[in-house]
Amino acid sequence: MNKEKNVYPEGEALGAQIESRHRRGLIWRALFQLSTVVGIIALTALLYNIINQAFGLTAVQNAVEPEALVLAYEEARMLGASNTVSSEDDRALLEGIAGDANAVGFFGYAYYQANADRLKTLAVDGVEPTAETAASGEYPLSRPLFLYTAPATMEENPQVAAFVNYYLTHVDEVIEDVGYFPGDAAALEEARVDWLEANGYAPSNRLPEVDPAAYDGQITITGSSTVFPLTQRIAEMFKIDGFPGEILVESTGSTAGLRRFCVDADIDIANASRAIRSQEFEACRAVDRQPLEIYVGTDALTIVTASNNEFVEDISLAELRHAFTDATTWADVNESWPAEPIVRYIPGADSGTLDFFSETVFPVALADLPKDVLVSMLAANISTGVGRRLEREQRFYQDALVFESPEKYVEVCAAEDAPEGCTRPPREQEDVYRLVVERVVQPEVQQTWSLVDSVFNQAEVLAEAQAEHPNARMEFRSWLSSDFVVSPQSDDPELAGVRTALLGSLWVIAITILFSFPIGVGAAIYLEEYANDNRINRFIQTNINNLAGVPSIIYGMLGLAIFVRLLESITSGAILAGGDAVGTTANGRTILSAGLTLGLLILPIIIINAQEAIRAVPSSLRQASYGLGATKWQTIWSHVLPNALPGILTGTILAMSRAIGETAPLVVVGASTFITVDPEGPFSKFTTLPIQIYQWTSRPQDEFRNIAAAAIIVLLILLLTLNASAVFLRNRFSKRLT
Amino acid sequence: MIETNIQSAVNISPKSSLNGEYALKAHNLDVYYSSFQAVKNVKLKFPRNRITALIGPSGCGKSTVLRSFNRMNDLISSARVEGAVHFRGKNIYDENVDPVEVRRRIGMVFQKPNPFPKSVYENVAWGARINGYEGDMDGLVEGSLRQAALWDEVKDKLHQSGLSLSGGQQQRLCIARAIAVKPEIILMDEPASALDPIATLRIEELIQTLKEKYTIVIVTHNMQQAARASDFTAFFNVDENRTGYLVEYGLTTGIFTNPEHELTEQYITGRFG
Repeated sequence: MNKEKNVYPEGEALGAQIESRHRRGLIWRALFQLSTVVGIIALTALLYNIINQAFGLTAVQNAVEPEALVLAYEEARMLGASNTVSSEDDRALLEGIAGDANAVGFFGYAYYQANADRLKTLAVDGVEPTAETAASGEYPLSRPLFLYTAPATMEENPQVAAFVNYYLTHVDEVIEDVGYFPGDAAALEEARVDWLEANGYAPSNRLPEVDPAAYDGQITITGSSTVFPLTQRIAEMFKIDGFPGEILVESTGSTAGLRRFCVDADIDIANASRAIRSQEFEACRAVDRQPLEIYVGTDALTIVTASNNEFVEDISLAELRHAFTDATTWADVNESWPAEPIVRYIPGADSGTLDFFSETVFPVALADLPKDVLVSMLAANISTGVGRRLEREQRFYQDALVFESPEKYVEVCAAEDAPEGCTRPPREQEDVYRLVVERVVQPEVQQTWSLVDSVFNQAEVLAEAQAEHPNARMEFRSWLSSDFVVSPQSDDPELAGVRTALLGSLWVIAITILFSFPIGVGAAIYLEEYANDNRINRFIQTNINNLAGVPSIIYGMLGLAIFVRLLESITSGAILAGGDAVGTTANGRTILSAGLTLGLLILPIIIINAQEAIRAVPSSLRQASYGLGATKWQTIWSHVLPNALPGILTGTILAMSRAIGETAPLVVVGASTFITVDPEGPFSKFTTLPIQIYQWTSRPQDEFRNIAAAAIIVLLILLLTLNASAVFLRNRFSKRLT
Repeated sequence: MIETNIQSAVNISPKSSLNGEYALKAHNLDVYYSSFQAVKNVKLKFPRNRITALIGPSGCGKSTVLRSFNRMNDLISSARVEGAVHFRGKNIYDENVDPVEVRRRIGMVFQKPNPFPKSVYENVAWGARINGYEGDMDGLVEGSLRQAALWDEVKDKLHQSGLSLSGGQQQRLCIARAIAVKPEIILMDEPASALDPIATLRIEELIQTLKEKYTIVIVTHNMQQAARASDFTAFFNVDENRTGYLVEYGLTTGIFTNPEHELTEQYITGRFG
């Protein structure tokens, strides 16, 4: 062998050797990078999942539409006004109006036209009802006319489908003759397309030719008195064209017709002079009749007086409002009119005409109704028991009671534990409105969608919502809201909040830290500074290290045995309460027990971290202190502890984060599963955020998963806030030291 | 080179004669770390208001000896001291002597500047406060900083952290801190070894002024420093068991110009160590 051979590589070999060393480093670097990426991906996936659940579109449906409430109120006002005659029979109304120069009323245009010789029509806001003004929408009281049927009904009864087809094909030929106005061409075309789709034709096709003679059977049609003459005319034509079966057409009012179509489900077609309401729609769906709206034409609601009325020609919407409610004489409506008593003739409550009139003339929002109206709505729609409870929280009126007799209320208020309602000022209108929405309108989430679907698949989501919940409105909902944070636990996921759990978590963590921080740091100081290096102390040290790894459920069992059972008299607060039963309802399953259990759980973590921190204080500092004649305690207190504190706090932050997120030991210790009362102190029953999240995730309804996600965000924010304040504290200490 | 240094040492301390008064006496001092004997049989007397330098090669136990003069070795659990150190007529290793009192009277300055992570003011005042000083604290702080020749540099930043000072300033702060508790003896363990030459020189000048009030014992690796700055010099060496022992002790001028032992001569002339 050549002894002169270089021991170290030189030249190209050196380059290659260095290159290979770099390469090895690069491989490790890639591995480390990979682990970082894996961590980030896991974290992102977690956050994605939570945020995806916590926000998103919801289909919200009201139990009662606010418009229906307003409508019912306005109609009641009209029906209750003085000198008002109400009838479902148009003829009776006609006779009344035509016979009295001071009378006023309203009809569909066709009926007016049929009796134009005895009636005078009024311009509304200066616009006369004509075909042009009705079609253009210029006339304020123009309205669409509808038939309602269902695809299922048409499939079952082909003669119904044929009749509707016939209707749509021929309505324009006769509508003006009947007295209405041809419908908007586009809307009619849409109705035809709807018919085609409902009957399985391609939407581009024209309506197929109908031969009425080819069908047989019965067709029953009920509903609006306004649509009645039009439908009757077409039914006659249908029969003339050879329909051998029977067509029954009745005039009962739109509301009654839709009720029969949707609730009783014993008619084939409902005539309606207004659009279907969402409750009616849902009722139809409940009997498997998905309502199909067929637009057939336009009507102009005419305001009429007797033909011998000489003082009114034109009336504004505002004047109409008075004329049909609170005015007693014509002069009340308009000063230039005579002070003759006003006589009103209106259709009955089942009439779509009345609905349309009041919707159009009184376009009031529920929120704008006066307080007393809202209160009476509330009173009409909630149970007396609930009403009493609300009234005891806060009265509706200063000196009147809605749900209770005054005597009873005086008695209640005189009691020692008088409810708050006795002293607080009465509720404001907004408050009552909120109650009406909450208790009567009852918006309810029907379905929820994730954030990603809501944003990126919006079209699909909307289509699905349209199919499943056609009457629901789509709302983008953040399940995490200020209400969510301040509301207590509830059975209803839309009302449920984390207040109780949040306060419970804060109480528990406060006790945990108060318990384990001083004890942990004290133990660490003893072990590091005072304890001799003997067998016993080494044994203790080893045990502490091992305790840090014991599963948390074991601590839960320990807590149950010691704090909940053995020390019940202390942890339930019975000792403080003098041994009687006060404050012992929790039987030791209190915040105190939970805090102490979690305190035990994190004690080893705090001790180990504090020991590390104390050990890390440079010995030069200790020597400097001793060199000046300081005692051991002076050295520890003035130098060791202040210098170890940042490290101790870091360990405490870690321990606290763990304690906040703990669920298992608290389940064992006995966190409450459902609690709506705020914890009042260490002896209260409690629940914590992780427990709450755990319970919500195990509920079947989708909405609970949404609020669980929102609660997770609250928990994360709580964690970040506590950590940030601990880090802030730590940094202040560190800064003081340098 | 060495010649001139010895000359300067003589010039700096003209009254380099013993007057029979000793601040500290060590008798047959043995120091063990567990079973290992670090130093054996040290006999030393430190004259009052004089600077005594302990020199010797690495591992000869001069720092150990120094630390046994104020019982700093107590902090090392395995350390054990035999023999006696007489201070104020008492053996500081007697059972009824509290090491806290010993350290209060025999201060220490360490190799690496180790100010407390507190303000300059607190660094000086803390020792006085824990020792029950009841006088004018501001005056004491100023006086101590002036004695340590640091006052002019820090008087405007008394409330800044002691750690913000330069290394040399930090070491003088440590000296100010030590003299604030009014010790009789100041032990210095290579006080300038972590400093640059200029800072070192300032520390040496400071030590010269301090000896008017204090008895100073200084461990140093730097032969010139010992020659320049000390009145007496003790030379230590290690035996084959790595145990340190005192070879020679006398006037610095004597040790550097006319050493009795060959080892001393070899060491100071740089032939080993």
